[in-house]
Amino acid sequence: MLPQWMCAQDIDPVLLQAKARLDSVQSFEAGLKLSVDISFVNMSPKQATMTYTKGEPTTFSSEDFVLIPKRGLDFSLSEIFEYPFMTVDRGYEVIFGRPCKLLNIIPLDKRADFSIATLGVDTVNYSVMKSEISTKKDGTYEVLLSYGQSNDIIPGRVEVSFEIERIRIPLQYMGKEIEVDKSAMKMEEVKRGRIILDIEPALVELVK
Amino acid sequence: MKTLIQAELYKLMHQRMTYFALAAILVIEGIVLVSAYFQGSAILDILLDNLRESFYFQGTLLNGHLMVYLILNSLWFHLPLILMIVSAGLFTTEHKERTLQMMMQQPISKTHFIISKYLVAVVFSLVVIVLLMVSSMMISYSLFGTGDLVVYLGTLNFFQSAEAFERIVLAYLCGSLTVIFFSVVSVTLAIWVRDTTIAWIVSAFFLIISNLLLKVDLGIDWFDNYFFVKLNDTWQLLFNTEIDWSHIYFNNALLVTYTVLFMFIGVMIFRRRDVA
Amino acid sequence: MILTGHALSKQYGDLQALDHVDVSCESGRIYGLLGANGAGKTTLFRILLGLTKPDHGQVIINSKRKKPLGGIIEKPAAYDYLSARQNLRLFSSVQGAPKDDNTISERLESVGLPLDRHDPVRNFSMGMKQRLGIAIAMLNDPECLVLDEPFSGLDPLGIDSLLRLIRNLAFEHSISVIVSSHIVDQLARLCDELLVLRSGKLVNRGITQNIIVACTDSYTICGSGLSNYDWGNYEASIAGQCVTVTADAEGIGELIEQLTKQGLRISSCSPNINMSKLFDSKLV
Repeated sequence: MLPQWMCAQDIDPVLLQAKARLDSVQSFEAGLKLSVDISFVNMSPKQATMTYTKGEPTTFSSEDFVLIPKRGLDFSLSEIFEYPFMTVDRGYEVIFGRPCKLLNIIPLDKRADFSIATLGVDTVNYSVMKSEISTKKDGTYEVLLSYGQSNDIIPGRVEVSFEIERIRIPLQYMGKEIEVDKSAMKMEEVKRGRIILDIEPALVELVK
Repeated sequence: MKTLIQAELYKLMHQRMTYFALAAILVIEGIVLVSAYFQGSAILDILLDNLRESFYFQGTLLNGHLMVYLILNSLWFHLPLILMIVSAGLFTTEHKERTLQMMMQQPISKTHFIISKYLVAVVFSLVVIVLLMVSSMMISYSLFGTGDLVVYLGTLNFFQSAEAFERIVLAYLCGSLTVIFFSVVSVTLAIWVRDTTIAWIVSAFFLIISNLLLKVDLGIDWFDNYFFVKLNDTWQLLFNTEIDWSHIYFNNALLVTYTVLFMFIGVMIFRRRDVA
Repeated sequence: MILTGHALSKQYGDLQALDHVDVSCESGRIYGLLGANGAGKTTLFRILLGLTKPDHGQVIINSKRKKPLGGIIEKPAAYDYLSARQNLRLFSSVQGAPKDDNTISERLESVGLPLDRHDPVRNFSMGMKQRLGIAIAMLNDPECLVLDEPFSGLDPLGIDSLLRLIRNLAFEHSISVIVSSHIVDQLARLCDELLVLRSGKLVNRGITQNIIVACTDSYTICGSGLSNYDWGNYEASIAGQCVTVTADAEGIGELIEQLTKQGLRISSCSPNINMSKLFDSKLV
């Protein structure tokens, strides 16, 4: 059931189809391979297990130390649909070879975490292929999703890009004295980082 | 020469000085471990502060590998200092007690005698490094477990547990060449000055100057790349993501060359000088 | 000759420590090296033992033994944190000498050290340290023993005991012994030959008794009733039960005979050596 405010709003039907499709997943467990791409971080790809249950926070477990992105793993688009919003049609774009409709999501409630979001939704399979969300506090992050089979509900690969400040260590900690290039540091104080998650879902349970 | 080496080891094991030195090293290790634990959280907070904005952390970095790494990182002054005192004492004590004269009256080769002292200094240094490595690992891993290791060398380098362990072991072995170098230098300085107190002062001075010069970049090629003071932190190269093995091998080979050179100088001085 | 030192000279800065000193030693004889502090005795011994190189001259050792010379320079040196047995074992092992328990026990017994002391040498008396030093010097059976001031720091009993030990070593093992001291009485009792060193030069050398006789102007006779005796033409100075009489070696014999005929009990008769004569003149 859609919330009351959605019934009264003029929300693009493609988005509603995508949401319904995502809501059909009751739970799943997936193996994750996380690859971090941040200039000042060198970390080999890590393995983790992700457990999603509808209506509950997603949990992660791993034997190693892993970085779990705070954003980009909201498969149910619950963050977007939490408060009333309106959609604006921005046209079409081909993403990963699929025709996608671009939609701006503009929240109508100031309690919403984000100021604007852009989604690219596959018009054939109603899968979210791309999202760009400008949060109020945590900057802007982009998510690119690709799917193994075109009709898969759960993406096979998710790339999350975000802004991250250059690490600044005031004292020499735990390492060799490094050459501090101050001018380079000033230019690159805010950088973009990326994390790539390769997902192998298993035990997918759909809503009956 | 085998009997001379055995005799030197026998003397070393029967002197109280040796056990005081070992106890001091283990106590320092314990203090470093305790401070590493309390500082470890603060260090990790600073290092991971920016990442925390964008990521949740699953798993803990405050583990045994970090403790061992912090012990490893803080030992390169205290450990060589104590070992230099013991190594210099191998010669100066005999000179002061005149057992050196007594030994030189026996039918033994002067060269073999002094080389055996150098070799025992090397062996003792190696034994201490191994003892330190094993004890720090046993205590750290049993108390704090294992996990990923994070090292800051301009970038945050994360190493998985097995790889972290290998790198740490290699770092200890690589660092042992540094410690051996200082031990050999202290024996040479002891042969040169002969007096116990002066030998300790000169050895400490050498160590302090080496540590200070390590941090100085003069922009002169031979100094920055080939001078022995710059070779003493080669072990840190093992914590870059991509290990530059050729650089490490080169540095270590050069350090071994310097070690042999100092040994040669000491042997020459000893051979040429009157014993009394 | 087991050991010959020819024209040995050594200079330290402006100080001529040794100046063309000749020394030679035969097996089975005990040589005394007499000299004041700083005369050059220790320097000579260091050169003989190969611890110091002479500026001029050479040392010739006529021995095929693995260790031709053994010695003690200044005070005896041993590893004071080891026991006597451990020291002997250590010094034996480095020079390939037998180091089994029985041999070590024999070595300890030969110098009169107890077999049941297992504590570190730092607990030993000076006399015991000297004995240990001699035991170490005797490892590998050298043909010549060089002992630098071995009586220094010993009490009279210790000196007596060491004198007997050195005599036994020389006679039983037929080794040559060179002993240095600045006290002529000690050497007079022990040595067959005496070498006298002054300011780095050898000023006197010869049979000990000949040198003593030649340098003795007076004798001190001790006994009962001497203070009441009429000394006649002899110059006599009385002090308690002892009398110092001016006489030469021949004269003193006659005097003792007279005193004995008079019924006087003589407890001792010691020569008073004229140090100026001893260190200034050459007598052979």
